[in-house]
Amino acid sequence: MTAEHLYRTVRLIRRFEERAMDFVRSGEIVGGIHPYVGQEAIAAGVCAALRPDDVITSTHRGHGHVLAKGVDPARMLAELMGRENGLNRGRGGSMHAADFGLGILGANAIVGAAGSIATGAAWAYQRQGKDVVAVSFFGDGAMNEGMLLEAFNLAVLWRVPVVFVCENNGYATTMPVRSAVAGSITGRARAFGMPAFTVDGQDPEKVLAATTAAVSRARSGRGPTFLECTTYRFDAHHTFEHRARLNYRSTEELSTGRSRDPVEIQGERLAADVRAAVDAEIEALLDAAAGVALGGAHPDPAAALEFLYASPEVNR
Amino acid sequence: MSESVPGLTPEVFAPVEAPVSPPQASEEVEFVQLLTPEGERVEHPDYSFDLDDEAIKGFYRDMTLVRRIDTEATALQRQGELGLWASLLGQEAAQIGSGRALNSKDMVFPTYREHGVAFCQGVNPLNLLGLFRGVDQGAWDPRDNNFHLYTIVIGAQTLHATGYAMGQQRDHAVGDPETGEATIAYFGDGASSQGDVNEAFIYASVFNAPVVFFCQNNQWAISEPIDRQTRIPLYQRAAGFGFPGVRVDGNDVLATYAVTQQALKRAREGSGPTLVEAYTYRMGAHTTSDDPTKYRLSEDLEYWKLKDPIERVKAYLARQAGVDHNFFDEVEAEADKVAAELRQGCLAMPDPELTDFFQYAYVDMPDELAEQRDQYAAYAASFNAEGEG
Ligand SMILES: Cc1ncc(C[n+]2csc(CCOP(=O)(O)OP(=O)(O)O)c2C)c(N)n1
Ligand SMILES: Cc1ncc(C[n+]2csc(CCOP(=O)(O)OP(=O)(O)O)c2C)c(N)n1
Ligand SMILES: [Mg+2]
Ligand SMILES: [Mg+2]
Repeated sequence: MTAEHLYRTVRLIRRFEERAMDFVRSGEIVGGIHPYVGQEAIAAGVCAALRPDDVITSTHRGHGHVLAKGVDPARMLAELMGRENGLNRGRGGSMHAADFGLGILGANAIVGAAGSIATGAAWAYQRQGKDVVAVSFFGDGAMNEGMLLEAFNLAVLWRVPVVFVCENNGYATTMPVRSAVAGSITGRARAFGMPAFTVDGQDPEKVLAATTAAVSRARSGRGPTFLECTTYRFDAHHTFEHRARLNYRSTEELSTGRSRDPVEIQGERLAADVRAAVDAEIEALLDAAAGVALGGAHPDPAAALEFLYASPEVNR
Repeated sequence: MSESVPGLTPEVFAPVEAPVSPPQASEEVEFVQLLTPEGERVEHPDYSFDLDDEAIKGFYRDMTLVRRIDTEATALQRQGELGLWASLLGQEAAQIGSGRALNSKDMVFPTYREHGVAFCQGVNPLNLLGLFRGVDQGAWDPRDNNFHLYTIVIGAQTLHATGYAMGQQRDHAVGDPETGEATIAYFGDGASSQGDVNEAFIYASVFNAPVVFFCQNNQWAISEPIDRQTRIPLYQRAAGFGFPGVRVDGNDVLATYAVTQQALKRAREGSGPTLVEAYTYRMGAHTTSDDPTKYRLSEDLEYWKLKDPIERVKAYLARQAGVDHNFFDEVEAEADKVAAELRQGCLAMPDPELTDFFQYAYVDMPDELAEQRDQYAAYAASFNAEGEG
């Protein structure tokens, strides 16, 4: 059951992203996306370890995280297309998906910024006497943001129930991790006294096992854990890269990097007929989602200033 | 790992580097020490002090003068002559040892408490007082003494220092351990929690910049004790950023000199940054606006009094180096003279026109600011009118 659940999630994310990239090409999604292709095992494994009331923060590459946390693909797709029936009424777009009801405290386009939000949220729950755990997703690039390191320090000092999930895909845009991160990624977390582990981020089951341990540590009041999930971004940093050749990864590296595909790794654990049934189910779900999204109304330009501030006066 | 995570199997978590050690109690702190609090010279496998007793006498003089300057400044503040003073009491060895290790081309980026380093660099202490008296905004030219302006924004100077060090690198002034240049950034234990400081570590490490990060862990950030600031000994932070860290007895001037000198040498020859944690204690208040009796125990102070940085050098000089009382008396007299001159100079500093302060924010004053200046001038004048009338 777990195996099938994990497969369903990685497959859903993969196909969602592939379809979203088609919509970028056809112009239905304006501005492009940061595809999560290749990294699906992390979102799937991490979110499978969470309770529905646990919370996450996400990144600019965040569609996978929110889908794994339970967002309806139709509403997410509509959001990417900027429609009124989108998750955030078309105002948030790709990098700002939020649904507090599902425990999604928001994707954040500011690299590293959401770590403080997750830490603050987890701390608040702790002070309210609730046993809610927060997970913060971020990339290797975020490891060099002072803000994130401040969050590490406070989380450790105050034993905050937060799990830091670093998706090390080897690059921050075109900057290789070896030129940007002095020392090591786990060493950086340990420099603040936080237990830190490296996990195979291509295998959903390994990610699930690691996160389960980290979450139970957090929930039982023993403080934060840092998980470095090693992975590879199969596609572009951003879809603009489909048009601009940046030439920062060799063909050889790409083929090695893509050789461990999380969808295949998890798919091989299912019986062929089960896998095929899941695949068909997902295609049907995404067909329906596309229909819903494309059918959504575009927001009224006159309402562009709505939802900026709680007080309507300020918006005028 | 200090704590194991239940349910983890080896194949789930790939093996990783050595675990960090848990925080240490202040009683049994490990650090580089070359002179004990009792004034005994001791050996260390990695560091040695190679100067003669004359140099140690010089350090004694430096520390005594600086303490006297500091005491005088505190008194001046209490008498209403300074707006504020941040005392260095207890941190003399950390500052003089590191300050004396600098070469003439090295650059210093201080906090607001580095009066001892300023002294080593030849900055006139009156300049420091001008800032705290509020008659200027730090009226020394950083280029004159390779001593940057005092920085109040906690940790910001570590970024300035790293940028400056990267500049030295680009000027090809790095590479030779003798003639190469280096930069030293001073900061406190509290500053270690700042994202800025950590970003400075990252840049310095990635670019191999010739910078020494000199952290005076004086155990307090205002009222915040060190155990609420970090879970691991500060010098161990450096390992997470890919460069070496070392902890030194910050009250031992021989050790701070030797350790800083080695760190500077590494920087000058192009081997990159080092973090030095000088383990010391802030004997006074955070500043003259603070009352530490509200948040710390007097017995802590008693414990640290026994580790006084000046007393141990005096004990060494008197007992081991045969220095007689004349020397100590001379230094004492010199200190009194310096203090008297400082007081005189302070009282003689002209008051600025308050409207002058509007001038220093922009090269070309924006209209809004000119308006504020005029409003302020009118407001100030209204008092004079009342007083006179
Ligand atoms: C604070 C900040 N600086 C720079 C950027 C521009 N930017 C967007 S994505 C990115 C790279 C992030 O790399 P990483 O954290 O490794 O995530 P990845 O894109 O690999 O998933 C950068 C620098 C930003 N969004 N925010
Ligand atoms: C960015 C910033 N935050 C807060 C302050 C207020 N502040 C002034 S001194 C201080 C404590 C600094 O402690 P530490 O770094 O240990 O230096 P110390 O004063 O002990 O030498 C704080 C918080 C400030 N000046 N700048
Ligand atoms: Mg990355
Ligand atoms: Mg301090």
